[in-house]
Amino acid sequence: MNEARFMELLGAYGADLARWPEDERTHAEVFLDGASHRVKDVWESERSFDHLLALEKDVPPSISLETAILGSSNIRRHVRRPLDLFGRFNLPRWATGGALAASLALGLAVGYAAEPDPSLEQDYATLLTVSGGGAGSMFLSAMNDAER
Amino acid sequence: MRDPDEDLVSRVGAGDSRAAAELVRRHLPRMVGLARRMLGDASEAEDVAQEVFLRVWRHAAAWKPGQAKFETWMHRVAMNLCLDRLRRNVRNGGEVTPEMPDTRASATRALDDRQRRDRVRDALQALPERQRAALVLCYYQDRTNIEAADIIGVSVDALESLLSRARRSLKTALSAERADLLSGLETG
Repeated sequence: MNEARFMELLGAYGADLARWPEDERTHAEVFLDGASHRVKDVWESERSFDHLLALEKDVPPSISLETAILGSSNIRRHVRRPLDLFGRFNLPRWATGGALAASLALGLAVGYAAEPDPSLEQDYATLLTVSGGGAGSMFLSAMNDAER
Repeated sequence: MRDPDEDLVSRVGAGDSRAAAELVRRHLPRMVGLARRMLGDASEAEDVAQEVFLRVWRHAAAWKPGQAKFETWMHRVAMNLCLDRLRRNVRNGGEVTPEMPDTRASATRALDDRQRRDRVRDALQALPERQRAALVLCYYQDRTNIEAADIIGVSVDALESLLSRARRSLKTALSAERADLLSGLETG
């Protein structure tokens, strides 16, 4: 690793060495440790630019999108109705109640323009909740907040 | 190294709906993020994400472990769908490349994070599509250089060239924001 190659990689991948080519990373770390102030100043400048780019973050997908995608899977449903989860998976009663509330609310939120099977929507909402999916968790939180 | 999605994909292929939900939970945010940054439109991004998963459902049963990482395959599908849409927009006369953001007005005023984020988004959209693809894959999708080059269909050297040009263009477009951020860091 020499300065020319270090600067080339810095200009392409930025300051975070975790993004650098795997076979050059260790050499880059060693080089940076012993680099001149001038090189380190350039590295710091690239690091601040990386922070700027990092302001552009992922946005959580909507529940309707998750539901539509699961609905397109045409996979045979293996999840029982929400009340059955209590006996089948030994869930505490509060989780079952929350799952039912989330399922019913999702059914209302999604709407029935084409008269889909409402039990299908409830099952997917339950799947999202049981699997710990972000949309399902957010939905449960919203339901709990509404009940306060 | 074992593909972390191998078991899930196998279970999806066998009809396991909980595995399908877990696959969605695991990968949907990244798919939407990639499409949104490539297309600049949330609604089109959701369409692409849905199409990616349609293909996942279609191919899960036939997926052969060891041929490639499943997540890399998903990224390739998503990127190809995005590039197809961008080229279709050009053929239909739609605006694909917005103007570079005007940095003059913002040079002397402090910007909050939300404004900076919006300007980063605008600057990303103004990049040529292959530079944008390289940057999005390496910076925001955490693909290795080898994966990103494979997804775009270029050599690693060509990928690095795309990345360098993308960063230079973004630095020019975001010069005011950079100066503002640096002065904010200096004053603490």
